[in-house]
Amino acid sequence: MKLSTSKLLQRRSTVAAAVALTLVSASLISTLGNAASAATKPLTIGVSLSLTGDFADSGTAAQKGYKLWVSDVNKKGGILGRQVSLKIVNDASSPDQVVSNYTNLITQTKVDIVMGPFSSLLTIPASRVARRYGYSFIEPAGGGPKVFAEKNPNLFFVQPAATTKGGDVFADYILSLPAASRPKTAAYVKLDDPFAAPLADNIKARFEAAGIKTVYNQTYPSETADMTPVISGVAAKKPDVLVGGTQTADAFAQVKAMIQLKFNPKWLFLSNGASSPLEFPKAIGLKNTEGVFTSSDWYPKSTAPGTAAFIKSYVAMYGGTAELIDSTSAEAYSAGTLLELVAKKTGKIDNATIIKTLHTGSWPTLEGNLSWNAFGEPQGSYLLTQWIGGSLKTVYPAKIAQHAPMAPKPAWVG
Amino acid sequence: MHSVIQALILGSLTGGVYALMASGQTLIFGIMKVINLAQGAFVIVASYLTFSLFQMTGLDPFLLIIVTTPIMFILGAATQWFLLRPLRPDDAAELSLLVTFAVALGLEGALSIVYKTTLRSIMPGYENHSWTLWGYQINEVRFYAFLLSIAMLGVLYLLLQKTKFGRSVRATVQNPMSAQLLGVNSKAVSAFGFGLGVSTTAAAGAVFGLITPFNPGSHYDLISRLLTIVVLGGMGAIGGSVIAALIMGIGAALVSALAAPIWSDFTFFAVLLLVLLLRPRGLFGAKVRGAL
Repeated sequence: MKLSTSKLLQRRSTVAAAVALTLVSASLISTLGNAASAATKPLTIGVSLSLTGDFADSGTAAQKGYKLWVSDVNKKGGILGRQVSLKIVNDASSPDQVVSNYTNLITQTKVDIVMGPFSSLLTIPASRVARRYGYSFIEPAGGGPKVFAEKNPNLFFVQPAATTKGGDVFADYILSLPAASRPKTAAYVKLDDPFAAPLADNIKARFEAAGIKTVYNQTYPSETADMTPVISGVAAKKPDVLVGGTQTADAFAQVKAMIQLKFNPKWLFLSNGASSPLEFPKAIGLKNTEGVFTSSDWYPKSTAPGTAAFIKSYVAMYGGTAELIDSTSAEAYSAGTLLELVAKKTGKIDNATIIKTLHTGSWPTLEGNLSWNAFGEPQGSYLLTQWIGGSLKTVYPAKIAQHAPMAPKPAWVG
Repeated sequence: MHSVIQALILGSLTGGVYALMASGQTLIFGIMKVINLAQGAFVIVASYLTFSLFQMTGLDPFLLIIVTTPIMFILGAATQWFLLRPLRPDDAAELSLLVTFAVALGLEGALSIVYKTTLRSIMPGYENHSWTLWGYQINEVRFYAFLLSIAMLGVLYLLLQKTKFGRSVRATVQNPMSAQLLGVNSKAVSAFGFGLGVSTTAAAGAVFGLITPFNPGSHYDLISRLLTIVVLGGMGAIGGSVIAALIMGIGAALVSALAAPIWSDFTFFAVLLLVLLLRPRGLFGAKVRGAL
C-alpha cells in the first residue's frame, strides 16, 4: 500500500505530536516528581567531631548534643517537612584531619549543611573550608580571638560572647558593689593560654581603672602540675580577690593548693574548670566548691527557655541526671536549634538564607538570646555563676539571678 | 623571709614526691641502661589502679600500695620480657627508646578508652590536709611521700648492695656474658630488675593521684622531669636522684613563689645544662657510679 504525500505528512505530524506530548508529559512528571522528592529528601548535615584524641570527651559531648537535637527535630516532623540526617565523622582532634573531613563532607558526601567541630584549634581551619564552598558555619565550640580574626561572614559562634570575654560579667558584678564593699587588692594568676590569660587581663584592666590595686599578676606555663609554689606567692600578698585565668586541670590544682596552704580570698573567680558541674566537685570535693565564682553559658539550673525540655529529652536518650550534662552538649544542641528557627522564619533552608538571616535579629536558644557581629562574634554576655549549696547558681546580672552573690567566700573545708 | 621558708618547705616536699617517682627510673635508666620512656605512663597506670581500687574498696590509698606494687611489678617484668628482651643487644639501647615510647602511647590509649580523658583525683578526705607549724603549711600527703621515698630508696639500696639479686643485677649490667658464665640467669635478672623499677611506680602513682588531678595524658610532663632528675643526679646514683629531685623541687618553688612561675621549669633545665657542661656525668655520677 502506498500513501499519498499529503497523508504521509499528516501521519508524520500526528506521530510528531504524539512524541512531543509524551516528552512534555514525561518532563512534567519528572519535574513534579523532583519537586516532591526535594521536599521529602532528608536534609543532610555534616559535622566533624573529635571522638578520639585530646578533645575526645568534649567531642563526644558535642556529638550527644547534635544527635539529641536531630532526634528531637525529627520527632516534630523535621525541618520544613524534611527529616534531618546527621553525618558525623571523627577528626581525632587533628587540625589536618578536620580539613579533609569537611572537604569530603561538602564535595563527596554532598551534605546540605555543615556545623562546627570542637575547639577553636579545629574551628579555624574547618571554617575556612566552609567559606570556600559557600557553606554557612554555625559552630558551638570555637570562641577564641583567632576565630573571629578570620573575618569569616559565614561563621556564627553559638555561645553568649567570645571566650575571652567570659570574665566581664564578674567585673560587672564587683564594680556594681558600693565602693566601700569592693575588694581593695587583687591577684591575677593566669595559665599561659590564648583563652585564659586574656580573659583575666580584661578583668584586670577594668579593676585597675576602678582603683582596685593589683598586688600579684603572673602567668604560669601549661606544664605546671603543682600550683602550691605559685599560690604561696599569691598568699604572701594577701589579695582580697583572686582571679584565676584557668582551663581545667590547673583550676583544680589552684584550688587544691589554696586548701593546702589555707589561703582563702574573699572572692575567688576561676574562668574555667569551676564551670563544670560534674568534674569540679569530683576534683576538689563538693564541700570545697562553696562560694567559688565562675561564668557559664549553659548549666543544669539555667533559666534559658527550653532548658527543662532539653534536660528531659537528654536524660530520656542518654540516662543519668541533669548534673551529668556537659555544657558542650547544650551548645551543639543550640547550633541545631538555630537551623530550625531560620527555617521557621524564612520558609527556606539553604546556606545563603542561613547566613543572610542570622546576621539580623536575636535568636533564642539554650545559650540565651544570641546575635552576632559581621564575623560571627556573639554580642551577649556570659552569666556569673557561683557554687552555692552544692550546685552552680546564677548570681549576676541581678534581674535573672537565682541567688544573691555569696561574699566573702566561706573557709575551705579541707 | 616567710615566703622563702614556705617555698623551701614546699619545694622539699615536692622534691620528695619526684624522688619517689625517680627511684625506679634510676634503677632502670641508671643501672640497667634502658631508657624507659614509659615510666611516667606506669605512674599514671598506678594512679588509675589506686583510684579504681579506692573507689571499689574504700581502703586507704597508702594501704593499697601493697596491692598495686605486685601488679606494677608484673606489668614491668612482662614489658621487659616480651618487648625489650627480644631486642638485639647491639641495638637495645636505642631501640628501647622507641619500644618504651610505644608502650607509653599504648598505655595512654588504653587508659583513654577505659577512663576517658576526664581528670580524676583520689580523695580519701585527707588529701589536702596540712599541718600548721609556726605559720608554715606542711601538706600531710607530701610529707608521707617524702618519707616513703626515703624508705623506698633505702630498700632499693639494700637490695642492690646487700643481696645476691643485687649483685646479679650489677654483674649483668657490667658484663652480661661473664655474669652468665658465673651462673647468673641474666635474662631473668633483667626482667626482675625492670619489674622492680616499675613496681616503685605503685607508690608514686598513689601519691601523684592524691596531690594532683590526672588524666591519661599526664605522663608527658612526668617523663621529662624523671629523666632529667636521673641525668642530673648521675646515672645509677640512687642517692643522687634524691638530691636532684630536691634541687628541682626547691628551685621551682623558689622561682615560682619569689620571681615568676613562667621561669620555674626553665630554672631547672638551666641548672641541668650547667651541671652537664661542668660535670657531664651528673652530680654524683663520677664518684659513686652504681652506688648510693
